[in-house]
Amino acid sequence: MNIELDINGRRRILHCAPDERLLITLRNHGYTEVKNGCLEGECGACLVLLDSRPVNSCQVLTASVAGRQITTVQGLGTLHQPHPLQQAFVDAGAVQCGFCTPGLILAAWALLQENPTPSDDEIKAALDGNLCRCTGYVKIIAAVRLAAQRLQALHHSTNPCRE
Amino acid sequence: MKTLNWYYPASLTEAAELVGREKIVPHAGGTGLLARGLGSITGLIELSRLPLHDLRITPDSIEIGSLCTYRDVVNILGQADPGHILVEALRESATTPLRNRITVGGSIALAPPWSDITGPLLALDTELVLLGDPSGTFPVAEYLQRSELRTKTLIQSVRLTRQTGIAAHYRHVRTRNDLPAFTITVLFKVSGGLITDCRIIIVGATPRYARQYKIENWLKQAPVDQLDDQAIQSLIEAKFGGRRIADPVYARHIAGIEIVRCVQRLMRNCR
Amino acid sequence: MAAYSIVGKSVQKIDALSLATGTSRYTDDFELKHPLHLKLLYSPHAHAGIIALDDSAARRLPGVIDVFHFQNVQPVLHTTAGQGYPEPSPYDTVLFDHKVRFIGDRVAMVAADSEAAAIAALGLIRVDYQLLPSLFDPQKALEPGAPQLHDTSRFAPIGAKYDPQRNLAAEIEIAFGDLTGGEAASDFIIDETYQAHYASHCAIEPHAAQAFFDEMGRLVIISSTQVPFHARRIVAKVCDFPVARIRVIKPRIGGGFGAKQEVLLEPLVALAALKHKRPAKLVLSRREVFQSARTRHPVRTRLRTGVDQSGRITFLEMDSLLNSGAYGTHALTVLSNCGAKVLPLFNKIENLRFLGRSVYTNLPVGGAYRGYGATQGYFALNQQIDIITRRLGVDLIAWIKQNHIREGETSRIFEALGEGKAGVTQNINSCKLDECLDIGAHAIGWYAKRNQRLTDGDKVRGVGLAIAMQGSAIPLIDMASAYIKMNDDGSFNLDIGATDIGTGSDTVLAQIAAEVLSVSLDKIIVLSSDTDQTPFDVGAYASSTTYLSGGAVKKCAEQIRQQILAVAARLLACEADALQLRDGRVVHSASNREVSFAAIAEHTLYAHDQFQIQAGASHVADQSPPPFCAQFAEVEVDRRTGRVRVLKFVSAVDCGQAIHPQLTEGQIEGAVMNGISYALTEEYRFATDGNLLTRSFRDYKIWTTADLPEIQTFIIESHEKTGPFGAKSVAEIGINGPLPAIANAIYDAVGVRLYEAPFTPPRIYHALQRTGVV
Repeated sequence: MNIELDINGRRRILHCAPDERLLITLRNHGYTEVKNGCLEGECGACLVLLDSRPVNSCQVLTASVAGRQITTVQGLGTLHQPHPLQQAFVDAGAVQCGFCTPGLILAAWALLQENPTPSDDEIKAALDGNLCRCTGYVKIIAAVRLAAQRLQALHHSTNPCRE
Repeated sequence: MKTLNWYYPASLTEAAELVGREKIVPHAGGTGLLARGLGSITGLIELSRLPLHDLRITPDSIEIGSLCTYRDVVNILGQADPGHILVEALRESATTPLRNRITVGGSIALAPPWSDITGPLLALDTELVLLGDPSGTFPVAEYLQRSELRTKTLIQSVRLTRQTGIAAHYRHVRTRNDLPAFTITVLFKVSGGLITDCRIIIVGATPRYARQYKIENWLKQAPVDQLDDQAIQSLIEAKFGGRRIADPVYARHIAGIEIVRCVQRLMRNCR
Repeated sequence: MAAYSIVGKSVQKIDALSLATGTSRYTDDFELKHPLHLKLLYSPHAHAGIIALDDSAARRLPGVIDVFHFQNVQPVLHTTAGQGYPEPSPYDTVLFDHKVRFIGDRVAMVAADSEAAAIAALGLIRVDYQLLPSLFDPQKALEPGAPQLHDTSRFAPIGAKYDPQRNLAAEIEIAFGDLTGGEAASDFIIDETYQAHYASHCAIEPHAAQAFFDEMGRLVIISSTQVPFHARRIVAKVCDFPVARIRVIKPRIGGGFGAKQEVLLEPLVALAALKHKRPAKLVLSRREVFQSARTRHPVRTRLRTGVDQSGRITFLEMDSLLNSGAYGTHALTVLSNCGAKVLPLFNKIENLRFLGRSVYTNLPVGGAYRGYGATQGYFALNQQIDIITRRLGVDLIAWIKQNHIREGETSRIFEALGEGKAGVTQNINSCKLDECLDIGAHAIGWYAKRNQRLTDGDKVRGVGLAIAMQGSAIPLIDMASAYIKMNDDGSFNLDIGATDIGTGSDTVLAQIAAEVLSVSLDKIIVLSSDTDQTPFDVGAYASSTTYLSGGAVKKCAEQIRQQILAVAARLLACEADALQLRDGRVVHSASNREVSFAAIAEHTLYAHDQFQIQAGASHVADQSPPPFCAQFAEVEVDRRTGRVRVLKFVSAVDCGQAIHPQLTEGQIEGAVMNGISYALTEEYRFATDGNLLTRSFRDYKIWTTADLPEIQTFIIESHEKTGPFGAKSVAEIGINGPLPAIANAIYDAVGVRLYEAPFTPPRIYHALQRTGVV
């Protein structure tokens, strides 16, 4: 099947089998930043934003989301132009092996879009679909807190210096 | 390659006709279908473009379109009625990204034993508006009982009255985002310090939807400060076991305790 | 502590931004041209002979290129263990055998043009089995008449004790002192048996490998491996293909924790690629990782300790029975570590016996898993000392302080128990365990909460403690090396075999080089884990990278430093020992003259007597200085339901000089969460036929952010003079504490002692029922 999608702001036509999962379609078309950790909707490594809502792309059939908007972590920021949220993850020490990181960052981004000043409990709830085995989550929560502070500061037009 | 045809009906009528055909089933969020496996299904009816996303709340009633996700229910109904049992039950269900895909209609149609939605819907005398063969309004209990109501229909919406009692929902889980081995929904009204109009439903034991009439009657007569979980346990009308419940003795013990705790917590909150 | 410029600072991890932007690639992210897609067929039986295998229908399926199995693949006995050669694990594995030994054992492999065709072909392979009696109970494995899993063709390459006819995968026994005398001198004996259970590493990236040919026709393997050099050697052996024609590259890896210290997939992709002269790839599903990859070894430990009224342990007997599963990879070394990493902690015990046996069973296969036997051993030891001190009525912390090994001391265990070979004696140079105990105790509120059973309705609180030491690499066996060269602008390439599996070792090793060379971190360009381009390193295991690979990097950088100084001395016309390195320059402070690294590099590359400033260095350590850790758990137990909530978990760690404090904390925090869920919810459950029921994250529960308790980590620095800038390693130790600390905390709260994990609510509930304490 040919399915048209808006991926990270670009309109693309992706080819897929009718029973193919969005995760597989994305990876087959070069979006390898979307990771496959379990294919069961349990680990969140495949998390993308579907019309700005976080979903497990391994639990979405590509053919059912024609015409929709997909955001991967590269849609948020790239190596040459990272997003403050990505930088916050780096600065807080929340990135060890990095395999869970793209999904986590998108889940965090979806939270911050809706709730720019989340409490720790709200952060934990928003990230409850992303497994991480390396960090024990401690610095991940810290990273989202840090990102929220920095984004608020940016929003209020002060420039957060990065140490 | 697996034969799988996708249908994108432009109207509910078209969708209703399609669902009558052999091996063609509705596709809402897709999580339930993928968990089960597509098996011998040859066609999927994509519902997301149909007018099934509305969530209407009036002073007397709530109508939830079948394509509303758990997140929609928690957010929209949660704003209007934060204590609503459906909100409490679905808020902790699955995980954040899954709640963005699991639909009310899909989770009723597939009704896995670990579903958090069935207990609250049964407790609230919910009705389903069905399209297809047959069309019409049916109590959810009947829908779950009679397979002929399920094979050639799609759920258009879910209708409930506004909740007039207080309610609590218990999920038997190992971690916060675990699939529950069973759930217990407790709903009742309090009048003059006594429990009236009580509904207690255990989902996930045997029978799968086990209304606890004996316990309900016991609660209506007993003074609330003398709740005894051992007595409650002895009145449980359900058998625990099977692949999902490794320790039936323990499960029964917990069910008794949690029913008491739900009731006590609700009574404390409403004072 | 000493003041360093870059060591001891939490600099930006060099790959973090690339990872956070989804740029860095993992094994399955590299595109191959028309690869063979490989899929494996597994055994449905726990123990059976294969009497017939018919792949003809599978071969006829369009898109199927080949089917590999025992009829067409040369059996080469080897071990999958990623260890130094000759490996201390029995050679009991072939790629495809005519026998299967557990449900999930490999039977055949399909190679096809598409994943779909490969999967479809699996269902068309017809296998006829002759069922054999199965063996699931490790305690029955050694009994005469028990089903025999392996035959006498199998052997142990290092000549360790190995007897496949008795299902004995390994055995060790050491004893010293006078056990009878020790027993006679005791006033009471504590004799308890503890069972540590199966676990899966749950690295979020499943095992993956791909193989292809480069432009010179050499075989290149990209693999999610902790051990690229061992992988190359083992592939060469198993596929009968020269090492010279194989290159193994480790790209980014999505977690290892020991799961990938195993050469599991590489020979398979190599086999397919070599036969068909086409690229090949194999990625395991999560289910395959749970069932058919590697696990933590379950270990049953019987600990007998005699104690006199003064609190002295007069004798200790540890009897460890390790369930190796169907194959013996790491069976000897994990077993060794049950004693080797645990028993030295109380080095004043004069009369001691350690007996360890690893046995085969028809169950999933144990392998390397963070902690590596220490975790299992500490479950026993830390509960035992809790029992002993309660019996004596003395303060546990005070007792530990009186009895644990100290700086300047040694233990006979170091020499007696090695990793398969004899051990290596050593003295402890650095140990801040007392400070760890004090700081941790204060943070958890130990004295206010211990034995208090603070109660709120049905909920009771308790606190528990566990201490541990681990090691830093394997002395005299492990080797690491590094290569550095200088570039025009005063930057340096640092090529290291060391394997960054997410730990941040690339960054830590760069910091060490930068510190020696007195440059900023961005001047060190790291390339790691490529068998063509980087010198040898055993790989990421045994907590070796910071200590051992760091030692090699430091040596190498110091050689570079000498070369720089020699050139600068010529350029500045003075003696080299009058010069210092400072911020990318060489300075002659007496005359205030200096020359930049860039100027030195340009001079050496282009101007006169040209040469490349470069060096290579290797490091083997003659000791394995242990990090030390004190870990505290505060729990709340619901007496009616048996549910345990971890309120707070504190770790105080001495790992010498923390090279990168933030990464050090990260190692501890990750290990702690892993240990906590291992203690409370992770469980392998089997059907009666030996089939694993828990093969998914749905069934095998690890924790999410929603379950996160309060976690506090303290780094207490010591100075390990044998380590680079005083550092010891830290990757494993954090996982040893949670299981016993939580068990001890549960006892503190409700008086039930749990000898078996996970400590699920039903287990605790039934234990409470038995003790009548509800």
